Amino acid sequence: MQLRWKFKPWLVLVLVGLLGGAAQAQDYDPNGSLTFATNADPTLNPWAPNAVVESNLINELIFEPLVRYNKKDLTPSPGLATSWKVAPDGLSWTFNLRKGVKWSDGKPFTADDVAFTYNNIALNKKLGATGGNLYAPLSKVEVIDPYTVRFVLNTPFSSLPYYLAYFTGILPKHILGDAENPLTLADFNKKNPVGTGPYKVAEFVSGSYVRLVKNDSYWGGPPKVASVVFKIVPDPNTQMAQLLGGELDMVTVTNPALLAGIERNPKLKLIRQNQNIYYFVALNQNDPRFKDVRVRQALLYAIDRKAIIDAVLKGYGEIATGPIAPLQKLFYRKDVPSYAFDPKKAQELLKQAGWVPGPDGVLTKDGKPLEIDMPTGQFGYLVPATLLVQQYWKAIGVKANVKVMEWNAYIQQMFVNRQYQATLAWWSTPPTPDVSPYYQSSSADKGQNIPNFKSAELDKLLEDGRKATSLRSQVLAYLQMQRFVAEQLPYLYLWYPDILTVRDDKIGGMVDLNQAVAFQYASEWFVKR
Amino acid sequence: MAAFALRRLLEGLLVLLLVSAITFFLINLAPGGPSAAVSLEKTAAQREALYHQFGLDKPVPVRYLDWLGGVLRGDLGTSLNQGLPVSSLLEQRMWNTLQLALTTLVLTTLLGMGLGIAAALYKNRWPDHLISGVATLGMSIPGFWLGILAIIVFAVQLKLFPSSGIFSVGAEFSLLDRLRHLVLPAGVLAFTLMPNVVRVTRSALLEVMSSDYVRTARAKGVAERVVLLKHTLKNALVPVIAILGLITTVLFSGSVVIESVFGWAGLGRLAIEAANGRDYPVILGVTLVAGAVVVMVNFLVDLLYAAVDPRISHE
Repeated sequence: MQLRWKFKPWLVLVLVGLLGGAAQAQDYDPNGSLTFATNADPTLNPWAPNAVVESNLINELIFEPLVRYNKKDLTPSPGLATSWKVAPDGLSWTFNLRKGVKWSDGKPFTADDVAFTYNNIALNKKLGATGGNLYAPLSKVEVIDPYTVRFVLNTPFSSLPYYLAYFTGILPKHILGDAENPLTLADFNKKNPVGTGPYKVAEFVSGSYVRLVKNDSYWGGPPKVASVVFKIVPDPNTQMAQLLGGELDMVTVTNPALLAGIERNPKLKLIRQNQNIYYFVALNQNDPRFKDVRVRQALLYAIDRKAIIDAVLKGYGEIATGPIAPLQKLFYRKDVPSYAFDPKKAQELLKQAGWVPGPDGVLTKDGKPLEIDMPTGQFGYLVPATLLVQQYWKAIGVKANVKVMEWNAYIQQMFVNRQYQATLAWWSTPPTPDVSPYYQSSSADKGQNIPNFKSAELDKLLEDGRKATSLRSQVLAYLQMQRFVAEQLPYLYLWYPDILTVRDDKIGGMVDLNQAVAFQYASEWFVKR
Repeated sequence: MAAFALRRLLEGLLVLLLVSAITFFLINLAPGGPSAAVSLEKTAAQREALYHQFGLDKPVPVRYLDWLGGVLRGDLGTSLNQGLPVSSLLEQRMWNTLQLALTTLVLTTLLGMGLGIAAALYKNRWPDHLISGVATLGMSIPGFWLGILAIIVFAVQLKLFPSSGIFSVGAEFSLLDRLRHLVLPAGVLAFTLMPNVVRVTRSALLEVMSSDYVRTARAKGVAERVVLLKHTLKNALVPVIAILGLITTVLFSGSVVIESVFGWAGLGRLAIEAANGRDYPVILGVTLVAGAVVVMVNFLVDLLYAAVDPRISHE
């Protein structure tokens, strides 16, 4: 039963005993320190509009969410909330909060902080809080007593606990409550944040590093690593060199080509991790040519995804079948249409849709050639992947006009203005089967529904998933959703990339599954002697 | 002299005003917006709220006048993506850039002039060829590549110097620690900038050495070294000062590439981050500082000309 997690004190005692025993046997250095890298100055407030990828992991050490992900299968597990229950109508959730938790300034953590974080920050539309848009079904949070809160919903929201675990640390009301804008206090965001997490900020040198020290009054007991440093190193080559030189203990490698050389260092180990990330080609549904599902299917059949994974990702990836990645073991379904590379079939489908070869080999319909404007941004491997897709499409008579743009300008054109016909990008989403923000009709044109795909049928399927009150009905609803998107292709699914992390062998007690989860359990890390 | 200084000051202010206006309108014409709002994480509603918070929903000319008014009151605004006052960001980064720039300038001057003099002394003999070889190398190797190479050799393999940062994390202030962190970035920067100084020094010296008064000195039987150091060097300094002035402006407005490779929190990195993230107030702040540096260095260079060459006067 994943929707009703009952708190069992005896079980926790047994687990703590086991873990404690394991750590003692693992003789660790109590003065140990770990050094990681981030690519820009972080903002130490998980809801601040400017806190994104450079800040997320750091904030997980300072702030804590109500719910954490289970270390094995990502299902919701206790965080600042110890247990929760959904009302039979699915319209409210009651969370019991952990007692004896203190903010790093010594004040007690209570239900008021939770209500403040959601009512005054996430739901306050004027603030533009990062992630605030994910809580559309939430109406308000009520305080029942100092250690109980109720999330009151407009519509059922079966994935609520998953969202509550996604970079959504609770903020202190007694510090931020009086601020005109609680997300822009420079002293809090850049110097003295107050959180409940296992680490607190000792020093923030802008442009250089953030040094965190362990919070000895942490509710889970004092962390075993004395300090954690995040160096601000923008250049990925330098990050890798520092890892090889022993100045960094862990690096996430965005370009697999940089992995050369790590196997010569026996202290470093490469970990292939997964997150709910998928790359896709979006075909703008405001363009009538792409409303025909046969055209979308054909354009996916034409792409040899395996070859692109091998060439561009050096094999570190898996062909994608939909928006739910395999790491969501409970929900991921593989038995859906998968569109193995088949250019013949692609041409056939396009012919059925009325596209026939013109004089210069380019397919035409009603005298108009199948030319597609395809802007792309300079980021990661978007440009080489886009150029390969262009070649595969060319082979079936589709002409893609690729325009390489500076990243920010690309986001403005493709995402803000939706001025594109096709584009290759990716989504990194909370590990929940509820993908409504990226698919529902109301997110088209102005939200995260990039292809502007509007389908009442898909809206209904997504709603069924949100309404589900048992795990069984939830799994069933999302199975249907995965089938639907695999057949209809609102996005052309390309691949699930591996997240490549290289770690120094001295790090112990760190979850392998993925970093977002590993950083939620930082108090269990230790430095081997 | 005072009249000259005053005129240059007024000209400088005019230049800064023009530079700020042009930058303001250009950067606002460029596509994109502050990355806090223009990102895949933000929906249209969130973007609207943030644009309102940032005051970006007002017309560009109004925003320019607002900004200019703030500058006149000593307020450079707040960074859109960092949430910190632009003046505090600039102050911090300027000090870091200054350390790197001064060290590099001293290194470049000593190395460049030393090698240039040596090359002139041994004109067309093997030391000259060796020096011009090194200079060509320094000129043609890209800084980022040399930087990474230096990190791999001196930080990763030999572990002699730290590969990045300005001082050791959490350490008390120590001059030695700072110098150790300066070695690689300043060394690489100096190596890539020094060739210009070498060439200009060498050719200026050789030109002066063929003039009449030097021939006279030689005819008197003065030793070649004395001729070079005493009679010609001062007169060859004007073009050298000009090139050092150019290098100074480049250094003091921050070296983007080297600061990124060596994780040096200076003005150059601040500028590139602000430009990538469309952080308008920071872009303008850095532009103002860089503009002021250029104006000031040019003024100083003019004064130095007069000091080394009495024929130049600013009366």
